[in-house]
Amino acid sequence: MTHRIVVNVETGVVTQVEYTAEEQAVHDAALAAQALAEAQVLAEAQAAAAVVVAPTEPVA
Amino acid sequence: MSTVIDGSASVTINSGVILGITSGTAVPSTSGTSIDFTSIPSWVKRITVMFNGVSTSGTSNWLLQLGSGSVTTTGYLSVSARLTNAVAVATTSYTTGLGIFNDSAAAVVGGICTFTLLGSNAWTATAVLSRTDSVSIYTSGMTIALGGTLDRVRITTVGGTDTFDAGSINILYEG
Repeated sequence: MTHRIVVNVETGVVTQVEYTAEEQAVHDAALAAQALAEAQVLAEAQAAAAVVVAPTEPVA
Repeated sequence: MSTVIDGSASVTINSGVILGITSGTAVPSTSGTSIDFTSIPSWVKRITVMFNGVSTSGTSNWLLQLGSGSVTTTGYLSVSARLTNAVAVATTSYTTGLGIFNDSAAAVVGGICTFTLLGSNAWTATAVLSRTDSVSIYTSGMTIALGGTLDRVRITTVGGTDTFDAGSINILYEG
């Protein structure tokens, strides 16, 4: 589970607060969207690199 | 005639204000998606957030957010910049917090952010940090009008999913 760190400056107590199920679902969805976006960028870059330029006749 | 106060690390006056600078608790910034410093006293007028060798897992820019009862996530006017030798200055604006540039998951950063109370729950901030693993400076400014008295500071990232993976963070506060 994902968590956050909480420091109470009055008491000095440091607590690790686990995400709730709802927070974890939002977190996982954000990660999935981020992975998808990165995959799309990579695919576009690979497609651009794969473009073959037709050879032209040399000028006499 | 002089007055000597001895035997204590701080002096508290009638209003509850602790004279001098009070240190929070330094925490390792080695896990989690955010680090919150809560229960900051109501009389505080200046907060210094200190970063020592801090790193996160991705390239999402960092955010420092203030709060009153809960973390305030809107209404900020902030711009951050990255200064690197022989590279064009990069800037980014933010409305969700005091932004700090972060251009690499490998970035290891040290420095401070200082929040000061302008009045009527309006806070201003400045940040100057440097990458300790390369030669870059990150600097930022910010204003925010909170809905109430500040009681917390959150350090997180814009995306909210990157995790802290190195260093330590602490705050100083004073009235």
